[in-house]
Amino acid sequence: MLKIENLHAEIDGKEILKGLDLEIRPGEIHAIMGPNGAGKSTLGYVLGGRDGYEVTQGSVEFEGRNLLDMEPHERAAAGVFLGFQYPVEIPGISNVQFLREALNAQRKARGEEPLSGGEFLKRARAQADALGMEQDMLKRPVNVGFSGGEKKRNEMVQMGIIDPKFAILDETDSGLDIDALKTVGEGINRIMRKPDKAVLLITHYQRLLEYVEPDAVHVLAAGRIVRSGGPELAVELEREGYQAVAA
Amino acid sequence: MTDTLDLPTKRQEEWRWSDMAALEAAAQSPAGEAPDADGWFIDGLDGPRLVFVDGEYQAGRSDAGPVTLEQLSADTDHPLGRRAAGAGWVLRVGEGGAKTCIQIVHLGSGGANHVPARIELAADATASIVETYAGTGWANRLTQIDLARGARLMRSVRLLQSGGFVSLRDEAEIGEAASLVSIVLGAGDMGSRIDGNLRLTGDGAFAEMGGALLTRDSQSQEAAVVVHHAKPEGSSRQIWRAVAADTSTASLAARVEVARDAQHTDGEQSLRGLLLKRSATVNLKPELEIFADDVKCAHGATVGELDKRALFYLESRGVAPARAQALLTRAFVADALDRIGEEAVREAFADNADRWLESAL
Repeated sequence: MLKIENLHAEIDGKEILKGLDLEIRPGEIHAIMGPNGAGKSTLGYVLGGRDGYEVTQGSVEFEGRNLLDMEPHERAAAGVFLGFQYPVEIPGISNVQFLREALNAQRKARGEEPLSGGEFLKRARAQADALGMEQDMLKRPVNVGFSGGEKKRNEMVQMGIIDPKFAILDETDSGLDIDALKTVGEGINRIMRKPDKAVLLITHYQRLLEYVEPDAVHVLAAGRIVRSGGPELAVELEREGYQAVAA
Repeated sequence: MTDTLDLPTKRQEEWRWSDMAALEAAAQSPAGEAPDADGWFIDGLDGPRLVFVDGEYQAGRSDAGPVTLEQLSADTDHPLGRRAAGAGWVLRVGEGGAKTCIQIVHLGSGGANHVPARIELAADATASIVETYAGTGWANRLTQIDLARGARLMRSVRLLQSGGFVSLRDEAEIGEAASLVSIVLGAGDMGSRIDGNLRLTGDGAFAEMGGALLTRDSQSQEAAVVVHHAKPEGSSRQIWRAVAADTSTASLAARVEVARDAQHTDGEQSLRGLLLKRSATVNLKPELEIFADDVKCAHGATVGELDKRALFYLESRGVAPARAQALLTRAFVADALDRIGEEAVREAFADNADRWLESAL
């Protein structure tokens, strides 16, 4: 589904990713772990297409298409979802309005009919319920006045509504208390654990992986994947620390 | 009217951002055929409808309801407002009466036209008026408003001319516990000067004047409003938003004056500008002049660009860049237009702003 080869990327002329290789097949959940500054979030933004992140070498293919040639909104329409580490507050636009706009833009780009207001609300309410988000928050401006945990929950509600093929979840676990972590973990499994979907979990700690069991775990250090393994690698990292494992 | 206009100049502080050249050009443009009045009225509002073409009342195309047509003098020192003497319209509402959803459409074909207006609401009377400017030429208006104790006036004005210039001069006296709300949307391609002088002359009066000016190409629009608190316990709000694209200029000057006797005044002033291109200009001039010692006057003035993080957030969810910009810009102006009480009017204004955004971005 996703194939990254020899990816080099820089910000303001500073190279952050230095030859990253990764292949994720349909039905798989991969976790990327690593210390702060290893390039984890940069990888997320490069895959999402954020301005200012320049790819200098390498390739990224998504379902056989060149992902790097696509604009951010085209990537979304192709089925890529980026869950933000720091979801942005947007005063003046309600969650419902934002998501309906986003979903229908994607549907239009794929040649599908837009969802009516009623159909959309039904879908939005079901996802909010499943993820333990108050219905009221759907009507509030996007992320405005939300706590850190509520913002992350909102990212998952968005993922549920949009129902992407491939999700990159950047530190979705940070800022969540243990109950919320469990709800979010269950949400990821429910929405994304399917034979035709895949997930790239970017995380610092293995806590989320207790709820979302990865098929593969990769250690990112200094812009490259230095080790890969099964779920047991996450446990080892927790026990031994990054330094020992990445060395 | 085509020779010497004797207009204010940029050397005068209150007119330093004014585009009097655009006004003069509009005044000298030849009159032609005015656009049709249909389409400029807001559907879903049942009320009197008046049409003016090049400043002349069109009896055959209007249903004036409680509005009367009268000869008016222009009792003002204002350099543009004082030109508006002659045939105008008057709305008088007696004590406790209510005249709502009055719509007035001003169509221009070119050249200069001047219309004075009076709005007089007796104690506890209520009125709401929507005015729309379309076509071209120079439309110059003087509107004098007198609100007695407890009277309430809601005014919504749209400037949608495809060219030319619109100058509005509002002068209001707001009595005890009376309330005036004036919201202006400048979303056409004309130049504009919106001038207001609101005086709170009774205890506990409320005055609000604000809105949104959207400019593009080389267009220039401006608002200059003075709110004067003469009596205690009054409140005022000036919420203005300016959005400037291309090489256009949008200017906002808002002044609050609080006299020595006007204790416990509660004033709010918020001027915000958004530059859609770096070649555009937004001028903001917030002013407070306070002589009373126990007052609350919140004020803020900022100019910026669209938040790049918010744009990426929207785009990463599938929203195309132009649409993302339009959504964020609409959210930016929403504060100012949300003040309009009647839903159909509020939605019509929001639609006009949307259409502007979609074509400007």
